[in-house]
Amino acid sequence: MKLGKRWLPAHILVWSYAVLLIVPLYYFLASAFKTNDEIFAHPFALPTSFGFGNFRTAFDSADLGLAVVNSTLVTVLALVLTLGLALPAAFALARSTGRLASVMEKVFSLGFLIPTFAALFPTFLLAAATGLFHTRTFMVLFLPATAMPLSVVILVQFMRTIPKEMEEAARMDGASTFAVLRHVYVPMCMPGIATVLLLNFLTFWNEYLYSLVIIGPDPAQRTVQVALPTLKSITGTDYGVLTAGTVLTLVPVWVVYTVLQKRMQQALVSGAVKM
Amino acid sequence: MTTLTPTPGDTTVRRPGPPSATAERRPPRQGGTVLAVPALIWYLVFMVGPMIAIFVVAALHWPGMLQPVSFAGLGNVRTVMDDPVFWDAVRNTAVQLAVALPIMIVCAYMLGYYVAQKPPGHRVIRYLLFIPGLISTPAKAMVFYAALSPDGLANGALESVGLGSLTDAWLASPSTALACLIALDVWAGIGFTAVLFAARLGSVPDELGEAAQLDGAGHWRTMWLIHFPVIRDYVGVVTMLQFLWTLFGSAQHVLLLTQGGPGSSSTTLSFLVYQKAFIAADLGYSQTVGVILFLAGLVGLLTIRRAFRQNY
Repeated sequence: MKLGKRWLPAHILVWSYAVLLIVPLYYFLASAFKTNDEIFAHPFALPTSFGFGNFRTAFDSADLGLAVVNSTLVTVLALVLTLGLALPAAFALARSTGRLASVMEKVFSLGFLIPTFAALFPTFLLAAATGLFHTRTFMVLFLPATAMPLSVVILVQFMRTIPKEMEEAARMDGASTFAVLRHVYVPMCMPGIATVLLLNFLTFWNEYLYSLVIIGPDPAQRTVQVALPTLKSITGTDYGVLTAGTVLTLVPVWVVYTVLQKRMQQALVSGAVKM
Repeated sequence: MTTLTPTPGDTTVRRPGPPSATAERRPPRQGGTVLAVPALIWYLVFMVGPMIAIFVVAALHWPGMLQPVSFAGLGNVRTVMDDPVFWDAVRNTAVQLAVALPIMIVCAYMLGYYVAQKPPGHRVIRYLLFIPGLISTPAKAMVFYAALSPDGLANGALESVGLGSLTDAWLASPSTALACLIALDVWAGIGFTAVLFAARLGSVPDELGEAAQLDGAGHWRTMWLIHFPVIRDYVGVVTMLQFLWTLFGSAQHVLLLTQGGPGSSSTTLSFLVYQKAFIAADLGYSQTVGVILFLAGLVGLLTIRRAFRQNY
């Protein structure tokens, strides 16, 4: 479609919003290399030196290094568990035509209506009752449950597109149910698996409120999202350190996004559509 | 058409088509359903269970984690209704939704439409728009904290253009605290939502817009009278999502930026749930608000669904 001169206001508005998105991020990135005085005097200037002093302080004072390890651990284990639960479930629901299966599928799709964030306190009680309060373990067990409805529904849709003949051929060769799942279904719905992984990677890595309440403030266990806000009080108003810490937590997501940009957008878009 | 097989004790009673045709294949296919059980149990234990527990705790008088618990019936509802802070929270949440949702959806739709037309630089725009969707809540809050604190970015920018008199302690002032939270929602929400709309608009056939243009419709009319009705139900879905995120998710921003203050000027309903449970330790109260929040969410969902129903 041709875009005429009348689009000028639109161009201006859109690019102003883009600037609104970039400026705070630029300010953040630049401030991470500055001292407080420099930030106040020249908020928009490029940093004069690219030392990693602020990053080191952030790392030390808030134990960010350990927090990154914890976050990675929780995210990876929860992702593995999510796939371990969702793949067989989706497989079963996609091939089955029974009534039980369709009821199960409905139960999963109803999960979209459950606002997990509302159940914070009962979840806390559950953590206390299972003796897993103040541990990363509970989050590893809990996060996959929240991801289950979306993951199962996305995977079922991908698996439904696999022709029945594929399974029948494998069966002829004597494949067991697990072998069919492993050698026929999993390889064929890799795009679906990637979608689920990316979508959940973002949610798990960025999870804050539950981690705060369940894992708590113990530096040995807490995730990077919980550690980050503590920089605000530890450092007083040392914006250099604060921004350096924040930039650190954004790096993994930003790297994944830049490398897998298209894929990531597709994943999030399809995630939202299914909800 | 489903048929009932007369076999008693058979758990797989309903089968599509004539039973004899599928009878041979039944054992391997049906046996698989068991594989869905672990996922289902997981989801029931960690999600459905706590959800039901909200309603139970709401009916209890439970003044602290280690305090004796007694049945309160509807007593908590009365306490909540009599509390002025609750009504402040209701008002703040209503303001937040009434301001943030329309701005976000309308702007995001127009922005999404713009991106979908593939103007010069649309790839860069698309890349940038997505960034707020990637940033975690604490990181977003830190961005806003640094930008809005007394000697932060916003005041610095105002000073440098000679509007020093307009500077304010944005997050600590009762008149601007809630506005800052709303601004954060809108800032982060528009871009992300726009990408969703752009993706959906991308699958609308080009001919539709071209035909409208041949008939003399301007871009404005094409946008609102041709494309909008086509993706109307999708707009509904996205609105529902944003509604839920704003309603329930605001607790995190409030906690990180204003703690509900000053006074109760930025206390929202979802923050009240958090605050009463984990700071004031009034658990019955907290979960009663939780139930109210849940019901508000449900009513809102149904209303939005109805408003965006396809009507052609």
